[in-house]
Amino acid sequence: MGNAFDASEFLAGFLVEAEEHLSASTTNLLAVETSLRKGENNPRAVRELFRSLHTIKGLSAMVGIEPIVDVAHAMETVLRKADRAAGALSTNAFEALLAGLRAIGERVRALSTSAPVAPAPPQLLDALAALEITQDASPATVELVLDAGLSAKLSATEKAQLLQGAESGRRALRVDFVPSPARAAEGTTITSVRERIGAFAEIVKVVPLSIPASDTAPGGLAFALLVLTDATNEALAAAAATQPEHVQVLHTRRVDGADPLAEPEAAEEDVGEGRKRGIVRVEVARLDDALERLSALVITRFRLARAVDALAAQGVNVGELGEIVKGYGRQVRDLRGAIMRARMVPVAELLDRVPLIVRGLSRATKKPVRVVIDAGKAELDKAVADRVFPAIVHLIRNAVDHAIESPAERRRLGKPEEGLVRVTCFERSTNQLELGISDDGRGIDREAVAHRASRPVPADDAGLLDLITLPGLTTLDHATKTSGRGLGMDIVKRAVVELGGELSLGTTPGAGTTFTLCIPLTITIVDAFSFVCGEQTFVAPVAAIEEVVEVVPEALVRGPSRHTRFGEVRFMERRGEIVPLVNLASVFSLASREEPKALVVRRNGAALAFGIQRMVGQQEVVIRPLEDPLVKVTGVSGSTDLGDGRPTLVLDLVALSGALSQNRTEVPV
Amino acid sequence: MSELYVVFKVDDGEYVLQAADVLQMESFGGATKVPGTPPYVAGLIHIRGRVVPVIDVRRRFGLSSIEPTLDSRVIVVQSGERTVGLLVDSAREIMRIPPEGLQAPPAWMGGDGAGFVRSVAHVERGPGEKRLVMLVNFEKIIGQEGIYGDERNG
Repeated sequence: MGNAFDASEFLAGFLVEAEEHLSASTTNLLAVETSLRKGENNPRAVRELFRSLHTIKGLSAMVGIEPIVDVAHAMETVLRKADRAAGALSTNAFEALLAGLRAIGERVRALSTSAPVAPAPPQLLDALAALEITQDASPATVELVLDAGLSAKLSATEKAQLLQGAESGRRALRVDFVPSPARAAEGTTITSVRERIGAFAEIVKVVPLSIPASDTAPGGLAFALLVLTDATNEALAAAAATQPEHVQVLHTRRVDGADPLAEPEAAEEDVGEGRKRGIVRVEVARLDDALERLSALVITRFRLARAVDALAAQGVNVGELGEIVKGYGRQVRDLRGAIMRARMVPVAELLDRVPLIVRGLSRATKKPVRVVIDAGKAELDKAVADRVFPAIVHLIRNAVDHAIESPAERRRLGKPEEGLVRVTCFERSTNQLELGISDDGRGIDREAVAHRASRPVPADDAGLLDLITLPGLTTLDHATKTSGRGLGMDIVKRAVVELGGELSLGTTPGAGTTFTLCIPLTITIVDAFSFVCGEQTFVAPVAAIEEVVEVVPEALVRGPSRHTRFGEVRFMERRGEIVPLVNLASVFSLASREEPKALVVRRNGAALAFGIQRMVGQQEVVIRPLEDPLVKVTGVSGSTDLGDGRPTLVLDLVALSGALSQNRTEVPV
Repeated sequence: MSELYVVFKVDDGEYVLQAADVLQMESFGGATKVPGTPPYVAGLIHIRGRVVPVIDVRRRFGLSSIEPTLDSRVIVVQSGERTVGLLVDSAREIMRIPPEGLQAPPAWMGGDGAGFVRSVAHVERGPGEKRLVMLVNFEKIIGQEGIYGDERNG
């Protein structure tokens, strides 16, 4: 601290911002793909994508991460071209951009774990550069597609107008209106259609056409309206009293390979819009700080309540005062709720990346897979979200990779060729979220798993879950490309349990599997030292500990009247300061009083050293508050799981030092 | 309508709890001691992802504690917002008791002033054989009545 420039702090900021822009880029690229499948451009998403990558490039240049700068730059170049071509992107370009985002994501993650950052993959840069050249070679990205009859009726100026309009990002469309006496009776004539369409589209030309006379076209006459617009086919068709299928696109691009019948679910994925409006980015640490300060208010409230009770006990009428204290308690509670809400992120945002992941897996495994996400409006603490996401990704990987059968096998089983992965989420009770990850694949074979683990066949799904979460168990003989490595089911289970959650399983052979993760909506995570004292392991937040020192018995000074209820007080010299030393085991009435080490804490300027048996390590722990009054004691702020399945107490040594100094009654020896 | 009860043993006594309040029963593999808690608090255990305090019912009833055995059980009970485990000598039976079978405890039972026994019932053990079971006052055991009534909501 105190440095004018702290690189690590700067890097933390970079990571947060880069992640955010990557997430936005993913959303926008998916939106581009959705449009692509509909045969449309999405100039807005292309522009947003361009901006995000530009920012990522700039940020990476500032912190000197060249590989990211290179990839972002190559992608930016492609996107600039696409932007000039009104958002036109080929399928190839889409794939290359996707690979680019993945490459950047990998490197950002490497940075966040302090792993070395790989150089930019040359094939990727080549692929991106190649796209650029193709586009340079054919500057006319848009061509009009008009049938000969129609083309003959348009002037060169009119054609140019359509072409320019299409190039600038609007769509050039043809919609036909067939007049009839019945329609005229309803007030729908070519004049009214012209007016209606004119309200949202630029009408380039109305071409009368002679068509075969029929019941719907008794006059044998139709009008082709050629328009430029941003409006949807639906709106246009409605205005012309016809069906959206009868609206034709008059220019090339996108039409290649587009399936007009595909009604992709992806429309729901287009959620990034507007969500970021009016949002301030705040470091979680600042919110934690606010919570910390709030806990002081809570203590004040208890003291107030106690003082009021004392007054009442003396026979004072405390009527109004009591009411005020109660009201104050409510306000403090509300304030706490408000701060906790500020830490929440929408689960839908967390799951933004899932369709992209499934898409990649689907490609790698050559299994068509549809993903359905139903996250509703549920929200989750940022810290929980960050910890649970890798578990979700792993379960999705397993689903696509192992559970969903190959298309041929599915056909044989009478299942739809396209597999289904569903991610659902809802708030189960006041402080719990239930996340479900299901597939319609082959289910988990109990016998096979039992055989693999050399254990008896489990009687139910709970027993099966215990088996598959055994460390190191895998049901496949060959590790596959996508999920053969990385997290195993044991780590998924551990991630959930460490959060104070619960993992459960339901599987039906042949029909599919559902994993359910019940997780708390909020948690507190701190960096903590673990240590042993009186043969019991404890943890204490690193931030609360000023120093870990060696205790040199010969150098300890004992003063007069040194015996207290919590044992003997000794004094040690530490850089010119005299620091009292108490044995933590004796404060806690634990057996072993060994104390080769001591933890120094400081409260209101006064230092106090707690003698302990030995240090174990340092790690991030999830603190679960102890709410039951039976176990609410000074000095113990919560409990955590260090992985042995047993609660480990989290100590608040600063609070403990406060309690000890107020309680320093001396006892006769 | 007779209700279901979980029967458990502490020392020589047989006690019952309403089955509706019991979340689960687990064998006991030790608990994490919390310094500064009353002696009858056996410590904390993890149960299905939750951290639950456990009360050693023997100590709570003023008896001496015993080494846990294979029969030892933790009965996890929910009462309002609180979830607390009760460490008992054994628990393996469920029984029905009709409401009219429950009667006020006799004087001197249930630790006198402590009021750990809410009511008693005579139930058939076998043909012609009866036994006495005691319905415990769970709230009393977990010390529901605090000094500052709404402390937990602060």
